Amino acid sequence: MTYELNVAHLYGDLMNTYGDVGNILALNYYAKQMNVKLNAEVVSLDQDFDANKFDLAFFGGGQDFEQVIVSKDIQTKKQALTDFIEDGGPVLAICGGFQLLGHYYVDAKGEKIPGIGALDHYTLSQDNHRFIGDIVIKNEETGETYHGFENHQGRTFLGENERPLGNVIEGKGNNGEDGTEGAIYKNVFCSYFHGPILTRNGNLAKRLLVAALKRSYPEADLSQQEALPVAATF
Amino acid sequence: MTLRSTVATFAGRSSYWFLHTFMKGGSSLPGKITTKIDPEILKHLGQNYDVIVITGTNGKTLTTALTVRVLNQKYSHILTNPTGSNMEQGIVTTFLRAPKVKGARPIAVLEVDEANVIKVTKYIKPKAFVFTNIFRDQMDRYGEIYTTYQKIIDGVALAPEATIIANGDAPIFHSKNLPNPIIYYGFKEQDEKDIKAKPNTDGVLCPNCQHILHYRYLTYSNLGKYFCPNCGYSRPELKFAVTKVTDLTPTSSEFEVDGNAMKIEIGGLYNIYNALAAYAVGRFLGVTPEQIDTAFSEDKKVFGRQEVIDLDGKQVTLILVKNPVGLNQVLDMIATDKKPFSFVGLLNANYADGIDTSWIWDGNFEKLPNLNIPAYITGGERYKDITFRLKVAGVPDDKHQVVPELKNVVEKIKTLPTEHVYVLATYTAVLQLRKLLADQGYIKEGMGA
Repeated sequence: MTYELNVAHLYGDLMNTYGDVGNILALNYYAKQMNVKLNAEVVSLDQDFDANKFDLAFFGGGQDFEQVIVSKDIQTKKQALTDFIEDGGPVLAICGGFQLLGHYYVDAKGEKIPGIGALDHYTLSQDNHRFIGDIVIKNEETGETYHGFENHQGRTFLGENERPLGNVIEGKGNNGEDGTEGAIYKNVFCSYFHGPILTRNGNLAKRLLVAALKRSYPEADLSQQEALPVAATF
Repeated sequence: MTLRSTVATFAGRSSYWFLHTFMKGGSSLPGKITTKIDPEILKHLGQNYDVIVITGTNGKTLTTALTVRVLNQKYSHILTNPTGSNMEQGIVTTFLRAPKVKGARPIAVLEVDEANVIKVTKYIKPKAFVFTNIFRDQMDRYGEIYTTYQKIIDGVALAPEATIIANGDAPIFHSKNLPNPIIYYGFKEQDEKDIKAKPNTDGVLCPNCQHILHYRYLTYSNLGKYFCPNCGYSRPELKFAVTKVTDLTPTSSEFEVDGNAMKIEIGGLYNIYNALAAYAVGRFLGVTPEQIDTAFSEDKKVFGRQEVIDLDGKQVTLILVKNPVGLNQVLDMIATDKKPFSFVGLLNANYADGIDTSWIWDGNFEKLPNLNIPAYITGGERYKDITFRLKVAGVPDDKHQVVPELKNVVEKIKTLPTEHVYVLATYTAVLQLRKLLADQGYIKEGMGA
């Protein structure tokens, strides 16, 4: 049986720095190996997010200017996105996307930019400094290690019902203080990783795809998909 | 001339002579010495010149070189800075080593790094600025496009009378109200549509109302005849325009500017923009279209950036790639080759290359499997990243060899099945490969043109 998954690329025309589109390409690469047809579609300004139409959402990072515009527009999609997330819809959110799913972030000029508060974190800024460099983290529950490149001014602090995507082995992570990197809430995976994250961490791509398949095809036998071997790319 | 300037100039000129004569180099040290003695030295050095400042992300070097050739058709004394000397110290050195000119007022055509425009305009009031484009560059070093443009504009603010000659197809150059006179150049196509840029394009928000821009046509990236369906904002009137693109190959481009046929010995649509910018400066300073055509055709060495190396019968074109827009333009350019060719991708991630390799995912490698490419090689210090990039793009494993070490890459190239070979490499990979090729006597040492 061939499966089909519809992916919402949230603000793909505005939130697309640092090769984030590579995550869509990597999802497609692993989806093919799982016998899944992936249909990616940009959902941007003045468009509705239809929670029933999509099986998976990807939300990348952007430049400061674009993120402020997106912050205003995404309030109109707040309810639909929150419903999707609460219902177990799988989401990958990177950098600015990660920040905007939380309560707010403080930008480089010190302005507080609202997110949608679907997740319980918030983000502060740091003065004239960014966390830039290679980063390695480990997720203690799954034992998976993830590799990436971080480049962010924001310092994010997780809420009580969020778990980190991993603990920092090398690099700075969410805020340079508490040793956490990224966030997991239900089927939402957040991170500051570029690289892009799914191109270096195929296991995470597989995790997202399997979660989407399980939710959209609850009766299907997905043992083959779950058994897909993922070769190291990094 | 103040005594301090005299001493500073003398110290700088002597050090240039010393370095140039005995050390075979020295492009910024004389500038450093001179600036140390007299921080305002540029004011003194530049005051006798009509200065043209050329800045932007891509195309500065070729636009500068072409502008010099074009202006040479009418003016006899033109000073310019060598590539790589586009920061303050390098510019001071450029003036220091210039021969003294009697008679007509000389012109200085200067390639200036975006953040260094203000360091120049603090002391020199240019006659004109040329803005080529602003694209996402290596962001671990440069930052966002709006920040980069603001840096340029901060510099321009100190020279409000200078004419700005800007790429009219770039929305960002129409986003601020400036007191300067502005001339726009761009592409005029007959066929008009209503389209959007590809999703992964930077800078597509209307500068006026922040809605997504639409286009009547796109040339590449976010360049084209843009308009905003929400507020009616649109591309400004073009004073100079490419009216026709007649033929494109990897090594030549034929086109018409305002109806005048021109040819340049280099491929790539982006290079037509560079020629158009030089054309606009030429016309601005009274050079005729006929003279400009002559300038483009008489000196082919100016196009030396895409170097073709004969490697035991293989025609190897070595091309530097450093950011997504440049990379995509190169991919488009090699796609115009009418013969089958082999593709080599070499990726390093040292400081000069950009330490974050994410940008390769913004390159449209997905077009490669549809071209006539029987063999691929990937290598360099970050060969794993570029190898997986090609895999994801759909390059079949049986055509794809992974060769991490560059010395082995050189040997493998000799065994490729095609006569044409394109090597796309990041900055330090180009240097390493050139060194290897120089050691084996295929080329002379150095960075090349």
